[in-house]
Amino acid sequence: MVVYNFKKIGPVPSATDMVDIVLTRTQRKTPTVIHPGYKISRIRSFYMRKVKFTQQTIAERLGNIVEHFPRLNDIHPFYADLMNILYDRDHYKLALGQINTAKGLIDSLSRDYIRLLKYGDSLYRCKQLKRAALGRMCTIIKRQKSAFAYLEEVRKHLSRLPALDPHTRTLLVTGYPNVGKSSFMNKVTRANVDVQPYAFTTKSLFVGHMDHRYLRWQVIDTPGILDKPLEERNTIEMQAVTALAHLQCAVLYFVDLSEQCGYTVEQQCSLFKSIKPLFANKQLILVVNKIDVQPWETLEQEKKKMIEGLSESANCSMMLMSNVTEEGVMDVKSAACDKLLQARVDQRVVGKKVDDVMNRLQVFHPSARDDETREAFIPESVAQARKEGRIGSADHKAKKSTTGYAVTKNDGNEEMAGRNSNPDPGRKTERDIMWEMGGPGVYSMDYRKNYDLANPEHKFDAIPEIMDGKNIADYVDPDIDAKLAALEAEEDQRMAENQAARMGESDESDLDEDEEDAITKIRTVKAVSREKSGINRKQNTPVMPRSVRGRQKDKHDKAVLDTIQSHLGGLGVETEGITKNVRGRKRERKDRSVGGDAMDEEVDTTNMSSTQKKKIRKEKKDGEKREQSLARSHSRPREPSQVGLKDEEARKVATKKEITAKRAFNGLSGEGDHRKTVHLVKWMNTGKKRNGTHNKR
Amino acid sequence: MPQHEHMERHRKLHGRRMDAEERERKKEARSAHKRSEFAQKVHGIRAKLYNEKRFKEKAAMRKTIAEHNERDNKHSNDDAVADGAVPAYLLDREGVSRAKVLSNTVKQKRKEKAGKWDVPIPKVKPVADDEMFKQLKSGKKQNKAWKRMVTKVTFVGENFTRKAPKYERFIRPTGLRMKRAHITHPELKATFHLDIIGVKKNPSSSLYTNLGVITKGTVIEVNVSDLGLVTTTGKVVWGKFAQVTNNPELDGCINGVLLV
Repeated sequence: MVVYNFKKIGPVPSATDMVDIVLTRTQRKTPTVIHPGYKISRIRSFYMRKVKFTQQTIAERLGNIVEHFPRLNDIHPFYADLMNILYDRDHYKLALGQINTAKGLIDSLSRDYIRLLKYGDSLYRCKQLKRAALGRMCTIIKRQKSAFAYLEEVRKHLSRLPALDPHTRTLLVTGYPNVGKSSFMNKVTRANVDVQPYAFTTKSLFVGHMDHRYLRWQVIDTPGILDKPLEERNTIEMQAVTALAHLQCAVLYFVDLSEQCGYTVEQQCSLFKSIKPLFANKQLILVVNKIDVQPWETLEQEKKKMIEGLSESANCSMMLMSNVTEEGVMDVKSAACDKLLQARVDQRVVGKKVDDVMNRLQVFHPSARDDETREAFIPESVAQARKEGRIGSADHKAKKSTTGYAVTKNDGNEEMAGRNSNPDPGRKTERDIMWEMGGPGVYSMDYRKNYDLANPEHKFDAIPEIMDGKNIADYVDPDIDAKLAALEAEEDQRMAENQAARMGESDESDLDEDEEDAITKIRTVKAVSREKSGINRKQNTPVMPRSVRGRQKDKHDKAVLDTIQSHLGGLGVETEGITKNVRGRKRERKDRSVGGDAMDEEVDTTNMSSTQKKKIRKEKKDGEKREQSLARSHSRPREPSQVGLKDEEARKVATKKEITAKRAFNGLSGEGDHRKTVHLVKWMNTGKKRNGTHNKR
Repeated sequence: MPQHEHMERHRKLHGRRMDAEERERKKEARSAHKRSEFAQKVHGIRAKLYNEKRFKEKAAMRKTIAEHNERDNKHSNDDAVADGAVPAYLLDREGVSRAKVLSNTVKQKRKEKAGKWDVPIPKVKPVADDEMFKQLKSGKKQNKAWKRMVTKVTFVGENFTRKAPKYERFIRPTGLRMKRAHITHPELKATFHLDIIGVKKNPSSSLYTNLGVITKGTVIEVNVSDLGLVTTTGKVVWGKFAQVTNNPELDGCINGVLLV
């Protein structure tokens, strides 16, 4: 189904704006650099492209306008008529037609100029032709100034028309001005139409929406109609007439009994008669309004008869209503909706479409197999309970449950009673307690009273959430007791087993003293050797291969210090200082390094073989070396390419420059190419170049 | 959903901001500065367009100001009227400034002085042959160069048929042929799109006239039957001469003035 949304129409620029848009676009989207030295074919195509591009842009723009504005023949007759009233059909068609003609003119113009450009023999001529072509196109656009302005106004107005769906369920409110049409509209929908105590407050159609029987309904508020011949009606009234004439809807004709609107009941009745042809094939309800001011009962007999006569003649129902007291408003609404709904269903049944569905439907009515009655089975206990009143009986179940609903202002009294009355009077429910203690918000239920605990006294004990900085919930284990019991049982069992094993053993040893001694000795030796092998196996780190470690100067040199020491010692010199000195210096350095004290650990080398000692020494030395190299790495000089640059920022800039400088130019030699290549002068580069023969002129 | 004049309605219901008028006034006051700022900043094509627009606006403004100003070229100066009795021959002067009347008479005289049959463009820059014609190479080896193609707009009669290529010395390309011209009637000050009947005279050369070449200054004969001109004897005129006032090959159309 077509949805009428006129908001999608794009804005129509003014003629001058359109010229600007088109020319700027051409300037920006086509190449701009041309030289008289170029090949003539290139010059020609350069200008032809400009002309063609401009024409295409204009065609696109104008085409959009023509396409997006609704065509009066294609849209629903209601809208077509409304547009005719509001914007004048002829004017509208003419404006769109002119735009379309302009588009055609510009098309043929560009064709002519492109043909002429094919014969252009110089840049100047081509340029002049292009200039003339664009100028003439712009002139054509400028001539449509008024059409553009008119269409823009129409677009603005169209976009603000209410989103009215001509096919859906609709109630249409009509009558003289000031009889309470808009007030009714405000009562049944949320449209918020302006209501004022003067005639023609509503100057155009307004749409509101409401729900009835879970369906969406639209209510249309129309401006008031005066009793005049059709030709004399003004635009405002004509909108109402259009809506009446074209929409399939239920019509509510409003009559003001009190005559406060300034029109007598006779006048209102005569208007009804004169617009009666518009009510044909529609569901009509005669709404007698403002009964709060002039009740129906106290109305003069003649007027009463007049109105009744109307409803009889039009074969429609008459309803009484007052917007002020809201008396009858909902009745009118629901009566109108039901009437329309019924009519729509009837129409559908009469129509052809229903057959397609009916063909596929088959309704079965199962016939009784015998006369035996088969009632629902109710257990004895349930029946008993029901009798005693402990369980809700059947009629209670049928009632709509109100539990869980918030209290509303308009809830009826009987409903309140229903809420308070307990379906099962034998039991006191939480709800009853709530109402007793002051209702929702005042009383809140304590769930703890329903806890099922081993010791009911613990029910209301306070349990902290956090204890000793730990969440208690993390440690809660429902099976903790069972687990504890299992553990204890296991422990007991172990203990018993151990006890039983002890019982079988004897404390007395069957060895004599010597043998005991020997065993102790053997055991100490064993322990010592185990200790030693443990020390030997201490090195768990991988051994550094020679290639990595580098060559050692002289294996035997390592013993030099020892030899000196022993030698000097033999000569009677104090040798303690030498070693101290050396070690001292080493220690100083180590102290500055990171893990210095770890290396200070002296390994006790007594009782060690010479290979073991060597190994330890070497390890120590390597460790030192590693330390030193690590320290040096922090003050490493920068890469030669970066020396002389101040900081990271400068280095980045330099790298970027280097990259851009290295990048080869790989652009095509098009219009944007301003490269100055090496100009090879022919006379300088041709001919023989033997010694003495080549002369620069 | 907002319907119809929802903005106005809202304003009616809820009013406007307390400082709405103030803001409007300030915006108005600021607009001149804003415009000036933009005018100083803008450059390139936008500057050209902007200046053009602004120039037009200013001209319009000056015009309206001038309209509202007191007129100073023609006004009754009461001071000039002498007190007391005035001789009869001075009565009709009324002290009216004669500036306008004078200028009108001067114009009239100038008009009369100009001859009636003088063409609008008396002098035309002659068009040389090498500009007019383009040499075409012909022959099997493209070594003959006796063919010429006309590079200007031409008028070719309706019953023209081309000669055989061997005998066709001058080619008038179809793309450059034109049949209608925009002719202005100097007295009616109106322009009509008229059919061309023929080329009467091309001032550059008789050859061009024969070929029907139309350049600036060419006198052409146009069909004015649509205009409904009548001779003194009451016959309907249908052919009239007109002079071309533009360069058709540059403009893509023929503009001219009717010779009356």
